[in-house]
Amino acid sequence: MVKISGFAIFILKKVLIYTVTLFLAFTLVFWVLRLIPGDPWSRFVDNLRILAIDPQISREFIEGYKRKFGLDKDIFTQYILYLSNLFLRFDLGISIASYPTPVQVVIMRSLPWSIGLLAICVLISWSIGIVAGAFIGWKHRSKLSSAMFTIALGMSQIPYFIMAILLIMILAYGFGLFPGRWAFSPSVTPGLNPAFILSVIRHGFLPALSIVVTSFLGWLVSTRALTMTILGEDYLLFAEAKGLKKIRMLNRYVLRNLLLPQATGLAISLGYVVNGAYVVEYIFQYPGVGTLLIHSFRFLDYNLAQGIIFVTMFTVLTANLIMDFLYPLIDPRVRTQGK
Amino acid sequence: MSQLLGTLKQRASAFISLFKRSPTLIVGVALLSLIIFLAIFAPIIDQYRLEGHKATDLGYFEKFLPPSLKHPLGTDHFGRDVLGLHLTGLKFSLIVGALAGSVATLISVCIAVIAGYRGGIIDSILNGVTNSVLVIPSLPILIVVAYYTRLDLVGMCLTLAAFSWPWSTRVIRAQVLTLKERTFVDLARVSGQNGFEIMFAEILPNLIPYIIVGLGFSVIGAIFAETGLRIIGLGPPTVVSLGLLLQQALQYGLLTQKRYAEVMSMILLLISIFISLNLINKGMDEAFNPRLKKVTGQ
Repeated sequence: MVKISGFAIFILKKVLIYTVTLFLAFTLVFWVLRLIPGDPWSRFVDNLRILAIDPQISREFIEGYKRKFGLDKDIFTQYILYLSNLFLRFDLGISIASYPTPVQVVIMRSLPWSIGLLAICVLISWSIGIVAGAFIGWKHRSKLSSAMFTIALGMSQIPYFIMAILLIMILAYGFGLFPGRWAFSPSVTPGLNPAFILSVIRHGFLPALSIVVTSFLGWLVSTRALTMTILGEDYLLFAEAKGLKKIRMLNRYVLRNLLLPQATGLAISLGYVVNGAYVVEYIFQYPGVGTLLIHSFRFLDYNLAQGIIFVTMFTVLTANLIMDFLYPLIDPRVRTQGK
Repeated sequence: MSQLLGTLKQRASAFISLFKRSPTLIVGVALLSLIIFLAIFAPIIDQYRLEGHKATDLGYFEKFLPPSLKHPLGTDHFGRDVLGLHLTGLKFSLIVGALAGSVATLISVCIAVIAGYRGGIIDSILNGVTNSVLVIPSLPILIVVAYYTRLDLVGMCLTLAAFSWPWSTRVIRAQVLTLKERTFVDLARVSGQNGFEIMFAEILPNLIPYIIVGLGFSVIGAIFAETGLRIIGLGPPTVVSLGLLLQQALQYGLLTQKRYAEVMSMILLLISIFISLNLINKGMDEAFNPRLKKVTGQ
């Protein structure tokens, strides 16, 4: 009974932090977007004037649109309305730049590209990083392994976009091996045909590589440190004394014990990965959420921007929450510590 | 007087022995000094080299001049001397890094020391906030703030600092947690010092190596975050940092024109800042953590 209540408190605490963080981050963005002098909507209208699309744009026009987007009400009502629309109807409002498409529809067009790219990159770099890190940690006494570690430690902090620029320069422009922009060639028709799939893979290679190269080194560095603490544990000493084969020890004892902490690390690093991936998407003009977010500011579409930010925060924070829940379920040691 | 001289000598010899313990530290400090020297004196040298013009002045030279003795990296699409431009960019990038990095470190030291020493509910709250900020993808929020507020240099640095403090906070807090169990803290408590005195007079000096390491990482983080924001096309146009120059280079298709040397020079400048700070951090680790060295067997 005591054990369960300890676990319940743990979950309650996590959910509370999750809700408060999500709520605060979202509220911050909502207010910043509206409280800054010259609201985005008047900027949009100013833009129409400057572009001379309609120099004599009328008050009625502006007022009409303001009503349409609910901007005629005071800011508190707007806030309440937005929140209730969001949580009760999962409605993020209407996009300004691609009026009258709802924001969620616009986001859903880009989301598969981002999730596809990120999921592949994260999985590849995470698994390579852990295996390589465990091996380097295992052999930590050799000169070669420590030299590789030093290089990895330095390179792991280089941001993805520097890698992206270097890769575009060398592989796209220098040798012309891979295309340096877009997600597929404009000459193929999107759909489930081999030409399209091949084109997507070819175009996705450089963005993926620029994320994988640096982030796998990050996993390598942290895994190596973890491996070395595991090597000092009693159960490993016992395994060695028992005369277990090295490969079995590495596989059964070291790798298994690495997976748990590194899974949490994966959740924590997700926000950082998303940050970096958005810039990489923009550099490659990849049609994902990151590029969409940056373009939404260009076109002064603050409804879309707000929607994207909300979806990003929600995804990352929820992934973290799920990981927090799964962790004690998988690892009984944490569960007993929690009481 | 002689006593003062004695302490000074002591300090100096402690400083020298620090360098003796770690050659990495010497290399790092030397490289960083060289970079800072270049950034400070480049405008002065440019005054003679560019006939009294600032490197950022538009249209003074011919466009797209190839590299020559006068313009070692040629000129760009605005007729600016590329070398002078990059050194100006280096200066602004360093300023952004130093300013944002120090503010972030200040925040993280305060939060870490208070949370770690006080413990209990204050620690839970501060730790919760730290973890939340750590997990949030900060870029979207940075974009919102940078886009709608038309930030100046200081505003930009403060915004960058607001999201870059959590990593070093975690590291420093862990140190405070071990330090506060030491006997000298007990002694201070018994001798009647209050919590504030213990935190900042007893614990803080012992944290200095960690603070320097945290500062190094914060500076690197701030410089790279600023560069990322600039590449997206945000930030004050008056702050000609390496990020802004990279963005212009990409926008004007320097890569399609195969002007790789210009892009490489910017990336190398960024990477050399990064390498120098990393070497200093590694050197600090070696000098202050000889035990760590034995454990990790490096």
